[in-house]
Amino acid sequence: MSRSQKITIWGLVWFSIITLSLPTLVVLGASLTAGNMVAFPPQGLSLQWYEKIALARDLQQAFLRSLIVAAICTAVAIPVGTLAGLALSRFRLRFTTAIQVYLLLPFTIPLIGSGIGLMLVFGQWHVLGSLWPVGIACAVINLPFIIWSVSSSAVLLDPDLELAAQSCGAGRVQTFFHVTLPAVMPGVITGSLLMFILAMNEFLVSLLLVDARIVTLPVLIYNSIRSIITPDLAAVSVVFIVIALAVIWLLDRLVGLEIFLKSK
Amino acid sequence: MTNMLYRPNRRALLRGTAAAGAAALMGTLPGRLMAQDAPAKPAEIIVRAWGGSWVEALKKGVSDPFTAATGIQVRHDLTEDNEIQPKVWAAVAQGRVPPIHINWDTTTNATKSALRGVTEDLSDLSNLAGTTDLAKPVGLDGYPIVNTYGYVYVLAYRPEAFPDGAPTSWKAMLDPKFRGRIALYNDGIGFHFPAQVAGGGKLEDIPANMQAAWDFIAQVKEQQPLLGEDPDFTAWFQNGEIDLACTISTNAREAKKNGVDLAWTVPEEGAKFDTDGLWIPKGLPENELYWAKEYINFAISKDAQQVWCDGLGLPGVVPGLTPPADLVDDPSYPDTPEEMSHLIRISTKVQVENESEWFGKFKEIMQG
Amino acid sequence: MSEPGPKQDFRYPLHWRLMDGVERLADIVWPRSMARHTGWLFIAPALLLVGLLVLGLVQIADSSLRVLDTATFLPSEDWSLTNYEKALGTKVYLTVAWRSVSAAALTTVLTLILAFAYAYALVRVRKAWIRKALLITLFLPFFIGQVVRAYGWLIILGNSGMVNEALGLIGVAPMRLLFNYGAVIFGLVQYMLPFAVLLLVPALTAIPEETETAAGSLGASWPRIFWHVLLPMAKPGLIGAGLVVFTLTLTDFAVPAMLGGGSQDFIANAIYDQFFRTADQGLGAALALMLVAAGSILVGLVFMVFGAGTLAMGGRK
Repeated sequence: MSRSQKITIWGLVWFSIITLSLPTLVVLGASLTAGNMVAFPPQGLSLQWYEKIALARDLQQAFLRSLIVAAICTAVAIPVGTLAGLALSRFRLRFTTAIQVYLLLPFTIPLIGSGIGLMLVFGQWHVLGSLWPVGIACAVINLPFIIWSVSSSAVLLDPDLELAAQSCGAGRVQTFFHVTLPAVMPGVITGSLLMFILAMNEFLVSLLLVDARIVTLPVLIYNSIRSIITPDLAAVSVVFIVIALAVIWLLDRLVGLEIFLKSK
Repeated sequence: MTNMLYRPNRRALLRGTAAAGAAALMGTLPGRLMAQDAPAKPAEIIVRAWGGSWVEALKKGVSDPFTAATGIQVRHDLTEDNEIQPKVWAAVAQGRVPPIHINWDTTTNATKSALRGVTEDLSDLSNLAGTTDLAKPVGLDGYPIVNTYGYVYVLAYRPEAFPDGAPTSWKAMLDPKFRGRIALYNDGIGFHFPAQVAGGGKLEDIPANMQAAWDFIAQVKEQQPLLGEDPDFTAWFQNGEIDLACTISTNAREAKKNGVDLAWTVPEEGAKFDTDGLWIPKGLPENELYWAKEYINFAISKDAQQVWCDGLGLPGVVPGLTPPADLVDDPSYPDTPEEMSHLIRISTKVQVENESEWFGKFKEIMQG
Repeated sequence: MSEPGPKQDFRYPLHWRLMDGVERLADIVWPRSMARHTGWLFIAPALLLVGLLVLGLVQIADSSLRVLDTATFLPSEDWSLTNYEKALGTKVYLTVAWRSVSAAALTTVLTLILAFAYAYALVRVRKAWIRKALLITLFLPFFIGQVVRAYGWLIILGNSGMVNEALGLIGVAPMRLLFNYGAVIFGLVQYMLPFAVLLLVPALTAIPEETETAAGSLGASWPRIFWHVLLPMAKPGLIGAGLVVFTLTLTDFAVPAMLGGGSQDFIANAIYDQFFRTADQGLGAALALMLVAAGSILVGLVFMVFGAGTLAMGGRK
């Protein structure tokens, strides 16, 4: 890289790093305040807000429910999204433009519209009141992410490889599991991680699908803010980040984060 | 109008006598039989409430004592009133059991639900006899909702920005030095009526001619106000973003209690007075409906009102409540006819029918 | 059990048998003659899942044709186009719609510039730990929810926030950085950046570094390499990421609500107001459907003009 190229690229990257992480750092600091309100720098240091959330059973239950919702969402999204991603990238389909526009509906319908619509549909089927419709809803509204992660991974797969496997006598199912799937694995992992995280944090559609008995964490947080934003919300965010970092560390140990960046 | 606030009206008195008679009659029956007549208790009931100090006050004044007396747990659903509305309406329309037992709601929103026919009738609650006229919803038959207290959209201000004392008029917002330092609710709620007066119009002309209000709001728009909701206002006051806001006194009081430098006043043009209430959506099982009614009945008893309204810092609907120490003689706690005369009260019917148009007009000015 | 010996038959491993079974089953369930329809088989579950939203849209379309009666707060029995007429005839909706579209376009361009640099650094940087740090930074903001994030921005960019304090030290008077159009764009770019980077990375990974080196050794300056080599090769990724950012921004509601100070509404905020604040679901539904239609037409045009980018490398076979 030439000098001017380095400066330009890294200048932009540093701007991104700062804008991405600054609010998080501020919130982290604010969670340590000894005062009653979110402030930075914190007014005196204390762990009181962490103590408060450690004792809050409703928060923990809501957190567990969010995990369940995210798990259901990911479990639904992985097969559906992977197959669709492959269909779009490995097969010649007719009406591709129409299919693409259709599969983008989760993004072109405003979340409020999706939420109201799904509430009416699930309500008509009398299935509201459990967590699985919320998980399915999260899978639907974020589905394009996993479809495209997979299809952009599939771009890198040489179709001759599949043909080679088949000419060597591998069956169709075998080719799929031993050649095609491993090739798009980075896309599947990126996509499912995104699906999981987004479902963990979804509140607007969930708000319309849950009731007080099955409220999820983001909905609980969104609803609890009435007159002031208290530092316990900052503390919840920090706990969230710590858990996420732990998961990322584990993922790195198990499969290696490099998988996001590698094509094969 | 003002007297109604603390004097039980004649109809209520009559009904009270009748109820007392019924109670005396029932008194002759063996108590145990009555207890057996009460329908099966659900394990819990769900009450929609606003978060923060609002739900804390409800819990302390109503929910906890209710649980202690009946053994029924109370779960609070903190979904915003606006956001629960389509959920409840859809549930009733689709013949499902609604997601909540009791909705703590603004009277305006509750009236929409009542008009739509999704609320249960509450006129047989025995404690209604002891309430003031404020408890009765205006323009509706019977009691599809019960109002539980009144509140005022005050002018909250940062004392530091007003060294010479509290602002006396809403026109203080037009002072160039407050450019960009004013906050109003997103839909302008609470501000339309004082704006009508401040703009030189008459309250009697609402809703037919509100040009004065729109002119005044357009002038305020020139001052680049911020629009938001209660948590925004608190955050903005705390971080020195704004000096003036039209807000509900309870939120201003909560912010002040948490150390934000804040005071409030009712300017000479007056301030909007309105009520909140409780109602029960249709579609509950018979026994749950019974106990939901018991909850509301308890909420309008004097004991419950004293604690609940203390927590909110608002005047209740039972005569003889003691105001919290910090709000004695405060204009945001109107408990005398003199104090009420400074406030603006517009009938719920007029509000419900025109609110949508007012919000639209307000948005048009603000988004322009 | 069996005697070890040279005569022992070759044992077919169990999982081979299993796989054969599965293959045979596949031949029965989905015979080879159906092979040209396999693409449809693969895409059917996604079509069905998104079908849930279409069912919802049908309900919304129904309510968009009914007018709210404010005397009873019930939708009318009969259908009419009144809500659409009102939506098209009200100036404020045009203002808000134009703001959404222009902001979506601006956000897309800015996000792609930042995301391209970020993804490029991510793909090209040699030290593994830097790569990991860049990756983690990307995911961090997801975890602090939008409301808390907006509060963070207030602390940083508010009138007496950190940036203004810092500017004060060098003698610059405090200025309003939040609650205007610029703040909304900034917040949107920050929100969309991780999505764009993740969608760009595969496209950039596909460009071998040697291509750039080769161009460089032939004497091309890096802006020229960028313009004539990188950009065309990354085009599919840019289109894919751009479409995602554009559609998500066009329908966003949280960022304008929290960083716009109430005067920077997007069309989704107007829809929210109708559904939740004024209980006029019919008008809200009409606005929502018009937004879906407009968004879908724009997306369809992009697909037809530029192809689908990485969103589908369809028909390579």
